[in-house]
Amino acid sequence: MKFGLKLAAALVAGIALGLFATWATVIRGAGPNALSDGPWRTSLTTGSAKSGPYTRASVAMHGLLALNRDETIYYTATTDSSGAALDGTCAYDIVGHDPDARWWSITAYGSDDYLIPNPVDRYSISKNSVIRAADGSFSASVGSAAHVQNWIPTSRAPFSLTLRLYNPGTSVQSEPAQASLPVIVKGSCS
Amino acid sequence: MSARAWTGWIAATLVVAALVHAGSLFALPWLVMDRAFSLMGSRNTMHHGARADANSRTIVRPSPDLLYSTCPYDLTKGPLEVRAVIPHETYWSVSAFDNDTNNWYVLNDRQTERGKLDLVIQAPGRDKDVAATEHRLVVTSPTIRGLILIRTLINDEDRIAAIDRTRRLATCGPLTEPQ
Repeated sequence: MKFGLKLAAALVAGIALGLFATWATVIRGAGPNALSDGPWRTSLTTGSAKSGPYTRASVAMHGLLALNRDETIYYTATTDSSGAALDGTCAYDIVGHDPDARWWSITAYGSDDYLIPNPVDRYSISKNSVIRAADGSFSASVGSAAHVQNWIPTSRAPFSLTLRLYNPGTSVQSEPAQASLPVIVKGSCS
Repeated sequence: MSARAWTGWIAATLVVAALVHAGSLFALPWLVMDRAFSLMGSRNTMHHGARADANSRTIVRPSPDLLYSTCPYDLTKGPLEVRAVIPHETYWSVSAFDNDTNNWYVLNDRQTERGKLDLVIQAPGRDKDVAATEHRLVVTSPTIRGLILIRTLINDEDRIAAIDRTRRLATCGPLTEPQ
């Protein structure tokens, strides 16, 4: 094989391999998350100049314009509490108490990282909108089957959830992997 | 081809792959910010986005519970002034992002007693140009270009109209007052 051809082959293969590595580590995945709290994953350096190139690239792709963790902590779940991938053909319950923050919300996103179209134009539950039981706990339904209250609609496709904690309490700030966060329990699938 | 020659070509391929991977990793935030800039409209002007829904495509993973006002800035021609009325009955924050997506400044409604925001953004290396006063905050951007983002929480669906009116009072533009 001539030298030129070998050089071209090495370049093409190198470029393809390099782009594949970026796609695999940053674009396809949810990115490198430093901490896990049950199904909820977060990074200590989101939005911060201290974040490394992988976190910065991942945030640019999956959470552009995220605030730094002093202001807001973002947790993302792509699985339920048992570790199974979130799937819109199944029903889920998010069960727990209000996380320690001035304000919180849980929002569903499609695999394209945008809000999921649904008949009632509802995309989240939050500290303001969630209906609680007498003991202060709440249970929210996630899935494509309609519910009257505490419902986060999805399509019948894979999805993810983002839990936002605005002005998180000191306990969450100091131990974000030990925060008391709602669990995600899978129900029936169809 | 000899085994030694193969090893050389494989090593060259891996070096190219590493360079492309590193380059694309560092370029991604800039490219994504560039796209966001182009979608957000004219520079040094406040844009008050509609409430996010399933049709929103400007920014990934928007919150449907917040109203976003954005001002892509370019400090080439001088400092930028951001003015806003701060609602104290709901969460509100003004944040600034550099060209590499880093969140280099944030101020929320509970961190100031002022009912109004007067924030001047200076270019890097020009931090002596504008002096802070009792009524004016002055900060220096790490990059010439960046983005101001104001978040206002819709904490009561019945008050959307009033919350939206207040957040639309926010403006940004070149600093024109005597310095």
